[in-house]
Amino acid sequence: MLEKLVNGFETHLFRNRMWVILSFMLITLFLGYQASQLKMDAAFSKNIPLNHEYMKTYTKHQKDFGGANRIMVSVEDTSGNIFNPEYFETLKQVHDELFFIPGVERSQVKSLYSPSTRFTEVVEDGFAGGPVIPADFRNDEYGLNVVRDNVEKAGIVGRLVSNDYSSAMLTAQLMDFVAKTDEEMAESEGAEKDITTKPLNTIQFAKQLENQLRGKYETETIKIHIIGFAKMAGDVAEGAKGVLLFFLIAILITAVMVYLFSKSLILTVLPLVCSLVAVFWQLGLLTVVGFGLDPMSILVPFLVFAIGVSHGVQMINAVRRRVLDGQNTKAASASAFRSLLVPGGVALLSDTVGFLTLLAIDIGIIRELAISASLGVAVIILTNLILLPLVISYTTIKPEKEDPVKKAKIEGLWRSLSKFATPKYAVIVLVCTAVLYGFGFQQASNIKIGDLQGGAPALHLDSRYNQDTFHITDNYSITTDYMTVIVEATPEACTYHSILNEIDQFEWMVGNTPGVESTASLASVSKRVNAGFNEGNPKWQVLPRTTASLVQAVGRVPTTSGLLNGNCSVMPVFLFLKDHKAETIEVVTAKVKQVAEQLNTDTLQFKLASGPVGVMAATNEAVSEAQLPMMIYVYGAVFVLCLISFRSIKATIAVIVPLYVVSTLAQALMTWLDIGLAVSTLPVIALGVGIGVDYGIYILSTMSGKLTQGMAVQQAYFEALVERGSAVIFTGLTLAIGVSTWFFSALKFQMDMGILLTFMFLVNMLGAIIILPALSAVFWRKPK
Amino acid sequence: MSFRTLRNVVAISLGCLISTAPVHAQFDPLTVQIQPLAESSLVLDIAKAGENLVAVGERGHVLVKQQDWQQVSSPVISQLTKVFFLNEKQGWAVGHDATIIHTEDGGLTWQVQFQSTEVEKPLLDILFFNENEGIAVGAYGLFYRTADGGKHWVQEFHEELLFPEDVSYLADLKAEDEALYLSERSALLPHFNRVIQLADNRLLMVGELGLVATSDDNGVTFVTQPFDYEGSMFNAIETDGAVFVMGLRGHVFKTDKQFSQWQEIALPVKSSINNAYITDSGSLYLVGNAGVVIELDSTDKANIIARRQGENIVAIESDNQGQVWFAGSKGLFQLK
Repeated sequence: MLEKLVNGFETHLFRNRMWVILSFMLITLFLGYQASQLKMDAAFSKNIPLNHEYMKTYTKHQKDFGGANRIMVSVEDTSGNIFNPEYFETLKQVHDELFFIPGVERSQVKSLYSPSTRFTEVVEDGFAGGPVIPADFRNDEYGLNVVRDNVEKAGIVGRLVSNDYSSAMLTAQLMDFVAKTDEEMAESEGAEKDITTKPLNTIQFAKQLENQLRGKYETETIKIHIIGFAKMAGDVAEGAKGVLLFFLIAILITAVMVYLFSKSLILTVLPLVCSLVAVFWQLGLLTVVGFGLDPMSILVPFLVFAIGVSHGVQMINAVRRRVLDGQNTKAASASAFRSLLVPGGVALLSDTVGFLTLLAIDIGIIRELAISASLGVAVIILTNLILLPLVISYTTIKPEKEDPVKKAKIEGLWRSLSKFATPKYAVIVLVCTAVLYGFGFQQASNIKIGDLQGGAPALHLDSRYNQDTFHITDNYSITTDYMTVIVEATPEACTYHSILNEIDQFEWMVGNTPGVESTASLASVSKRVNAGFNEGNPKWQVLPRTTASLVQAVGRVPTTSGLLNGNCSVMPVFLFLKDHKAETIEVVTAKVKQVAEQLNTDTLQFKLASGPVGVMAATNEAVSEAQLPMMIYVYGAVFVLCLISFRSIKATIAVIVPLYVVSTLAQALMTWLDIGLAVSTLPVIALGVGIGVDYGIYILSTMSGKLTQGMAVQQAYFEALVERGSAVIFTGLTLAIGVSTWFFSALKFQMDMGILLTFMFLVNMLGAIIILPALSAVFWRKPK
Repeated sequence: MSFRTLRNVVAISLGCLISTAPVHAQFDPLTVQIQPLAESSLVLDIAKAGENLVAVGERGHVLVKQQDWQQVSSPVISQLTKVFFLNEKQGWAVGHDATIIHTEDGGLTWQVQFQSTEVEKPLLDILFFNENEGIAVGAYGLFYRTADGGKHWVQEFHEELLFPEDVSYLADLKAEDEALYLSERSALLPHFNRVIQLADNRLLMVGELGLVATSDDNGVTFVTQPFDYEGSMFNAIETDGAVFVMGLRGHVFKTDKQFSQWQEIALPVKSSINNAYITDSGSLYLVGNAGVVIELDSTDKANIIARRQGENIVAIESDNQGQVWFAGSKGLFQLK
């Protein structure tokens, strides 16, 4: 029945081939235009699992405490001492500049120059204090000495001033939405007219940081270090521009390889063009569905191109073989179309479904990747299985007759390869596979979740961004590796000794967890303030039981400290960690949950989590929770599709087992190379399965027909190799070479993906030509 | 009884069993008192107990140094401010919530002798004259005495240490309103920060608002010793020829043992001085807030020998090896 359908489809298509090609051209024009409108787009909220329990707490309190989307700017004086007039002049300008960049939450900008930076000291008759930089500050030696004294009294060394006084810090919180400009208001139409805000454009914001801060103020003596998600995204986007170069290199390599393979210019150009058409469609469709191109998924177009070429090569190979057998190109194309539509379609559908399974992971950026990759793969069905044979049918190709010596040589190779389909070799292969799998499985179970290195994992260690991160962590006592536990209580809760005491107990217990370097909360700060009210005597560093004294102590802590909200019904506990490795985060979150369970009551709840590491904790949990379902879905989809097309459980298993072994080995490789399972690397496994399944399906679809007719396994495999072997091996090699150039990328995650995909392309190909026949030899021992 | 009813009875009683079981254990800070950070969190006093050292601090922490410092469990979670040993076995520690705890084995195990959260005041020092008689002093003139080794504690009010204007105010109030009189009385005396026994058995007590007072009768009555400063005095130490009192904002005074000649010691810092220690060479170490360690030589010249940023130093004592230990807001440490 399927055959009938395909034949009818073929007759219609080839009868109206002109119209079909014309409509393809029109669609390409339209989507090409749409693709040209595509914008780079990175938003912090896309990178976090918004529906995770922790992130619900995070978003609930984001307004009061800011989120994890902060930037830090350290202004360094290379002379090693910031107390000179030129430096303070620059620092003031940088502060003002930062304050006015759209997207900065102005009330949360902190530096020496912000009015909330104050000092207090105990004197005989109570407290004395004021802003660290006084209102009557004169930028001269006397004024700077006053500031230096105040800095020490304010206890901000290590936070706003580096430990060695060589640099000073500015921090700012970013908003998710910014006000539209007047022009933008004028441009907006209809319902949009009433909306006065627009989402913050992170990449543009990062450019402003680069130009207005570093560009303007960095000199011989002043160095500007900037870190934070926005800057990181900007640097990744900058690095992603290099992807274009890799794309060109890959196209070039592929073109040369395809030419060597096909020995025909026209057969080289057509599959490449059709694959590029698929890329245009994919990019255009992104704009149509309202997405931008996220730097993290910039590799998808390349992936689409690669998969397109892989199927295109199968197509031209099929056409060429038929022409060599004496058909004209039109008949050859039509026949190639008929024979490849089903296996190719199944393979591409498996890819599509495989990528769609990534939707199961509730992280915006992975869902975007899922949609853009599955769109891209789905359109390849149209461009390379339909458009390509139609276009080829218009050409006349005269392939050279194959050199008989060479032909014999290749047949010799196929003959030797076909031995894998004999029981003797099959046993050896399967035993080796089993050993390899066992070893891989054991390694794969040690795979690390999360980011394994310091700084931003998407970028190389020696990148400016990561160097800036190290500058800040080395010179200040602060760290970006902190999480906050949100304590939810009733309004005015902080006036009760019992409540603050519980928070203090919580902080102490969690503070005693390995991996926690230090902690801070309203309770512990109030204790120190209380000592301050008692002449600075450390023996009074307690939470006073008298309500009046407690209120007096708590009242000194401003809401800008981030330790309490306006009516002190919410009081975060800060946990500063030694790093953000997954094990550290796991140990700490487990302890928090354990202590919270003991302390939680109806009116007092300790909830995870906010802060950069809080976000990482949620992401790690989402990623590790998603891993198993994702694998089940992707293999489930491949299983069902293979079952439908082969209608044989044996064939299905023969395709899936090599795939599974290879993805296990890929995970083992990740363990060896210290590549953690993170937002950027998780998709690789699903992508790998999607790509790997092509090889198996192409080979087995040729074999299964012959096996059903009763042919011996070895002979069936040999004939499949003759028909499709060269295309399979060729595609594996070409794609692997193309992807391996990513190794030289400026982006660390692209390098990681390059290594993993190269491995996937190559080893899946080997799996399809070695393990698959061995399995077949076992499954179809006796010909029917 | 039919099988069905029997089954129901079983089901119901099982249900009762499950519902009466506690949902989860209540958090008890005492059971988790031993924590790795106790040694490096707020420690407020160190005392010699024979060959050993005993230190006390926040959350009722007690640490004993035999070879290394080891935390031992204590029966309280209130902050402990001071620890005193009469001999190598008998010791007492005091702290917030008017806590008094007692040990009979050199600090390894402790029992509560007195505690009252209603008092809402900390005890700041304790002193025993012999196995039975002792006094404990604290904030707002808090003063307790025992004659039976701490089994019973009796509160005393030291009216003689009130300011003259407060004396007449209280006298008026007592006639009008007994309750208000009692509540006012409990807040009018200065903090008694430290009490020491001098070589001639007199007591010397120092405290808030420039309080320096002596007693010839084990603290039954005190006589104030006036000098020219009104800030708080946190500590006092007796050397061979003199007495030093020390306190707020770098104020350290030296006086003769009759408290008639006073001389202020010039310090290079304005940080409060919390404690002092006589070194083997006869010089004096002063420790205080802002992490200062100052050495006073025999000519009373002050030199800063250490300054630990962001740390307040409260206690100083030497162990049986002659090693000097310091304690404060970041716990126990030695100078390198």
